[in-house]
Amino acid sequence: MRGSWKVLRAGLVAGSVVAASGAASFTAVAGEFDGVTLRVGTWGGSWKANMVELIVPKFEAMGGKIEFVTGSPQANFAKVITGRGKAPFDVMEVLDAQIGDAMESGYFQKVDLSKIPNKKYVDDYQYNENMVGSWHTQEVICYHVDKFAEQGIPVPKTYADLIHPKLAGKVSFPDINSGGGLANFTAINIAAGGDRDNVQPGLELINKMKVLKFWSRGGETLSQFESGDILAAVSNGGWCLRTRKAGVNVDSVHPVIGNGNVGVAKVGWLGILKSAEGKNVEAAHWFINEYLTEEFQLLFAVKSGIVPINKNAIARMHEDEVIRDILVLDQEKIANELRFDYTGINLSAWTDQWNRMVAK
Amino acid sequence: MTARWGLVLLPPFIFSFFLVAASQSVFLELSFFEDLGLGRKGEDFVLDNYTRFLTDSFYLHALWTTIKTSALAALFTLVLGFPVAYLIARMRSQWAMVLIAGIVVATFVTIVIKVYGLIVIFSANGILNRSLMEIGILSEPFTIFGNVSGVVIGLMHFTLGFGVLLLYSVIQTIPRSLEDAAAIHGANRWRVYRRVIFPLALPGVTVGALMIFNMCMGAFTSAALLGGGRVFTLPVLVQRVVMMELKFSMGATLAAILLVSVIAINLLSIFMLRRMKAAHLVVV
Repeated sequence: MRGSWKVLRAGLVAGSVVAASGAASFTAVAGEFDGVTLRVGTWGGSWKANMVELIVPKFEAMGGKIEFVTGSPQANFAKVITGRGKAPFDVMEVLDAQIGDAMESGYFQKVDLSKIPNKKYVDDYQYNENMVGSWHTQEVICYHVDKFAEQGIPVPKTYADLIHPKLAGKVSFPDINSGGGLANFTAINIAAGGDRDNVQPGLELINKMKVLKFWSRGGETLSQFESGDILAAVSNGGWCLRTRKAGVNVDSVHPVIGNGNVGVAKVGWLGILKSAEGKNVEAAHWFINEYLTEEFQLLFAVKSGIVPINKNAIARMHEDEVIRDILVLDQEKIANELRFDYTGINLSAWTDQWNRMVAK
Repeated sequence: MTARWGLVLLPPFIFSFFLVAASQSVFLELSFFEDLGLGRKGEDFVLDNYTRFLTDSFYLHALWTTIKTSALAALFTLVLGFPVAYLIARMRSQWAMVLIAGIVVATFVTIVIKVYGLIVIFSANGILNRSLMEIGILSEPFTIFGNVSGVVIGLMHFTLGFGVLLLYSVIQTIPRSLEDAAAIHGANRWRVYRRVIFPLALPGVTVGALMIFNMCMGAFTSAALLGGGRVFTLPVLVQRVVMMELKFSMGATLAAILLVSVIAINLLSIFMLRRMKAAHLVVV
């Protein structure tokens, strides 16, 4: 495993060198962004660190500077709303479930797709004139292999399998307000027979699961596996991957959802705020384009456990044994994951029903 | 000529009042408009948000949970803190100052770190659960996640140091000679506590209890981290409603109700203390 990790790292370094020689990026010259400070709204932790490692040096080489405003997309969107569109950033990460609200707010400007040449490496459905896709995560059931075997608990195939006496109080599930909350809630609701107008089946299934904690940060799943508090977690596959790499013997199950879907995809997008002006708009396009490079997408995948949307980067992920184990890398299977269109959904009503169900 | 010391208080009063009033007035005003989502509000002055709060068992339950957890945390903080404060206040050695310094330093530790410490101690593989299970007191690990007990423990951890410091200063105002006099006249230790120390300390303890209670009513971190996404105190709800659901008017209503509840409970407590004083149940 360590060998394959080294191979992948070497590949990353080689890729970075190629990228540095200007093969992958759209035309950018030294001094092009002299004096420009691009402000980016994104998560902290490894997400920001990845950008600092690969994107920031390139931007600085062109004379600019990147400042990060860290927080979840929900928290950052709240900043946009509070500022009545005068956002403290030019470009921000947006979750698929937020796109409806983001468009309704009217605070985002159109993306000039001609300035995103790297879009040729991603599928057509992953970009449009409003937003450009940036990554996707696979939401999985992550379970402790040894403890399940020790206690004779069958390996789950779907969410309902987590209703087991030995798992009572030993399962964690994302809070509806967390990054993965809506994607997983939607999936469990559909798996339980609910639909966009009726979320009661999903809520009842969650209630029967006897969840220990509705987590708000994915990192909690890692620490709770380590502390023995949980034996299974519904979480983004990236956290399952990092838990395995941290030394806990976990594996993932891509749950059967129904209607032909197996597994759940949560999709990340990048949008440019209307408050961005002048050179910052150019810089924001440059940033989005860099985000889609093979090198960055691969680094992101390895360090943060996301699945790239750049097809070349996906192909290179096969080199890592743990990634192969935990995540689905087959394009056909990826296409078969549940992707939900949140347009027209009254998310506030969903959240309200959720709160009432989980409140103690 | 009499010095008008009250004037000295005027600048800090104006400063504090401005800070509180400026922020709260925005919220208070917002709470009287219909919530249209995405931070937007209606144009008409309405009481819909308040009506919704007062007629919805979910919100009333959240208010009750907030008061209950805060009251329990304040009570247990006093019960645990009073003996500690008393012992330190009556210590004649230099260790008293060392202990006080230790408590002061502990209060500097951020609440997030304190709560994570609790999470480690109370985890299934943590030292406490393992020890209790090994000696047969527990058959299953005790968890502090997702229940009111955990939130109360977290709030106590947040307030205990402050409570001890506060009670220490109260007990120091009670002359030791009064205890000696009662003992000389034949009172046993329990009677000295009940008839001398406690009545004299009661006004200070009441004020301390109110301060701890107020801190807990507004505390977000312990409830958010230990509540496991299912213990909804009002501060947690305010954060969810404002930051996640972008319903600013409803969030403002929750904040306003929290503020009014705290003021009402404090006024009621002061009123009761005065009644007790009038009935000579306490010495002020």
